[in-house]
Amino acid sequence: MARLVTEMLKGTLEGIVLAILSDRPAYGYEITAWLREKGFSDIAEGTVYALLIRIEQRGLVDVEKVPSGKGPPRKVYSLNPQGQAYLQEFWTTWDLLAQRLEQLREGVR
Amino acid sequence: MDVSRLISKVVGDKREWRQYKARKQRLPENYRAALDAAERYANYSGLSDGDAIMRMLGDLIDLFEQGAANSTPIRELVGEDPAEFMDEFLQNYKQGDWKAPARNRLTEAIRQAAGEDSDENAPNEQGRPMS
Repeated sequence: MARLVTEMLKGTLEGIVLAILSDRPAYGYEITAWLREKGFSDIAEGTVYALLIRIEQRGLVDVEKVPSGKGPPRKVYSLNPQGQAYLQEFWTTWDLLAQRLEQLREGVR
Repeated sequence: MDVSRLISKVVGDKREWRQYKARKQRLPENYRAALDAAERYANYSGLSDGDAIMRMLGDLIDLFEQGAANSTPIRELVGEDPAEFMDEFLQNYKQGDWKAPARNRLTEAIRQAAGEDSDENAPNEQGRPMS
């Protein structure tokens, strides 16, 4: 089942991360820690990091470098208006997908 | 490109490269070994644009420095399938790979063959429409 969760997560991780960022700005480590806490225990920090780079390139988030006590400065990500709009689109698409899958399950029974 | 710009570009790249190597030397040994391995894998990514390569390496070392600073276990950084993580990471720089012109030509040729005059629904490097 872990494998299945990983596969399904791939398509939805972007929306999940945007949803987390709509609540408050965060940096990569925090986001990964939050996901792990919520049961997505297999998620690699690098995977979240690669995704953050992607959504930054696409202009969905604003990035601020914040000095940290230990180690290099942290990149703190916050959702910008384009990101908000994209997140709305994600939820609309998610509802549609969930509805169609539910119809499929009822049809198969 | 004139000669002085060419020189500054080559020297600039070299300086960035030296900075990268110096940062790598400061990493704890096991994080450095992991980064070396990731870097070797990235050699096969087909990235040919010097700026894209330096950007990619800069982003990669940021992750490992951050991981070392937080004492995040290496396995948690790269996951169960390191090649899968790296492929995903490298996707972000594919506009700088050797196949980029071929990819753009294919997209354009198919668009014309399909008789589409607008490419607003075509997939592009910035992402895909969701519906």
